[in-house]
Amino acid sequence: MVVAIGFEGSANKLGVGIVKDGVVLSNPRHTYITPPGQGFLPKNTAQHHREHALEVLQKALDEAKISPKDIDVVCYTKGPGMGAPLVSTAIVARTVAQLWGKPMIAVNHCIGHIEMGRLVTGAENPIVLYVSGGNTQVIAYSQRRYRIFGETIDIAVGNCLDRFARVLKLSNDPSPGYNIEQLAKKGNKFLELPYVVKGMDVSFSGLLSFIEEKAPQLLQKGEYTPEDLCFSLQETVFAMLIEITERAMAHCGSQEVLIVGGVGCNKRLQEMMETMAKERGAKLYATDERFCIDNGAMIAQAGWEMFRSGQTTPLKDTTCTQRFRTDEVDITWRS
Amino acid sequence: MTEKKLKVDLSVPFPTEREAQIACGTLSVDSEPKRGGVKKELVVKGNVLNIHFEALEARMMRVGMNSFFDHLNLVIETMEKFGPPEK
Ligand SMILES: Nc1ncnc2c1ncn2[C@@H]1O[C@H](COP(=O)(O)OP(=O)(O)OP(=O)(O)O)[C@@H](O)[C@H]1O
Ligand SMILES: [Mg+2]
Repeated sequence: MVVAIGFEGSANKLGVGIVKDGVVLSNPRHTYITPPGQGFLPKNTAQHHREHALEVLQKALDEAKISPKDIDVVCYTKGPGMGAPLVSTAIVARTVAQLWGKPMIAVNHCIGHIEMGRLVTGAENPIVLYVSGGNTQVIAYSQRRYRIFGETIDIAVGNCLDRFARVLKLSNDPSPGYNIEQLAKKGNKFLELPYVVKGMDVSFSGLLSFIEEKAPQLLQKGEYTPEDLCFSLQETVFAMLIEITERAMAHCGSQEVLIVGGVGCNKRLQEMMETMAKERGAKLYATDERFCIDNGAMIAQAGWEMFRSGQTTPLKDTTCTQRFRTDEVDITWRS
Repeated sequence: MTEKKLKVDLSVPFPTEREAQIACGTLSVDSEPKRGGVKKELVVKGNVLNIHFEALEARMMRVGMNSFFDHLNLVIETMEKFGPPEK
């Protein structure tokens, strides 16, 4: 029996989760919500994490009904992400690991998303679409690596949604992407937007500039409603994602597709993926916001796998790094 | 050669030597950003954590020390809530 605790703080969510042999015992999270129209800055986000880390940690222990004695390994997010928030979160992890006399594991955030998705859905060897505020990747596992088949060549899809939400001054609570999804349900007039797929890769920055520039006048003239624009944006960016995912599935002959990352809890994206998968006789695996959005349990789960395969990270090596690619990690726990 | 560096020496006492070592362990891991031009050295003597800072400009010293104090406070609070260390 192995009990792992995971600390996540690479962006605006501070999460602590406890996982015991594939069972999530607790997974509380606290989100730094900025006013409409504003993104989150590293300094303020780090401060948020420092203010809330200890209460979230206490909640994780209480909900799991676990005492520090029962924990075997302390896992934390090494990167990728924003420097200051990563470090503030790692500091709590390092301190409790020493107080409790436990080994540590440094976890790649992207690997955390993938392993959590695999755990929750039971998908065995899926093509993974990883879509979040900082990442957009199509991934296939082979020979102890999660290999990136295709990715964005500029901004992440979540970043594109978040920045458009700022133009419309939508609330950031619980997330800009969620609020775009709600408005999109009521939109129906489609605005043609730049659709950029290059081989296995996608690009969103041209599309974002286009809609950022056009939106104010289209809305002012009453030609399109905010709902129509959210609808058009979603339909376009999701179609691009489906296209590159389908290409990867065809290439690998895969019968499974898994969506992870914050944008992955979008129901419309899941629906479009489901349609594509069905046509190919494949199966879609997706999760909800508890496990899609950054959380502590995903770091605990990836750390649990690493720990069981014999890894630990010496304290002096528990650094953080803003850049840390998915395909840099040796996947020692899969064959 | 004339000295051009700013220097600060800071001493932080902890309840026990073990706690001073834990704080030192946590706070020694991250290197200062290279372009910041701040250097810090941490040494434990008894129950005291001694930190020596060097910087080329007062402005940089302030930035380095501000973030150090943010982190130090977090370590102390974590020890208060989740300590004392296991034997
Ligand atoms: N229902 C939704 N529909 C679309 N996007 C969503 C939805 N819910 C959340 N998002 C988006 O998901 C993103 C957050 O994803 P996540 O929680 O994985 O964090 P992240 O900081 O982007 O992490 P990463 O380091 O993995 O990039 C934000 O861009 C947010 O707007
Ligand atoms: Mg994420």
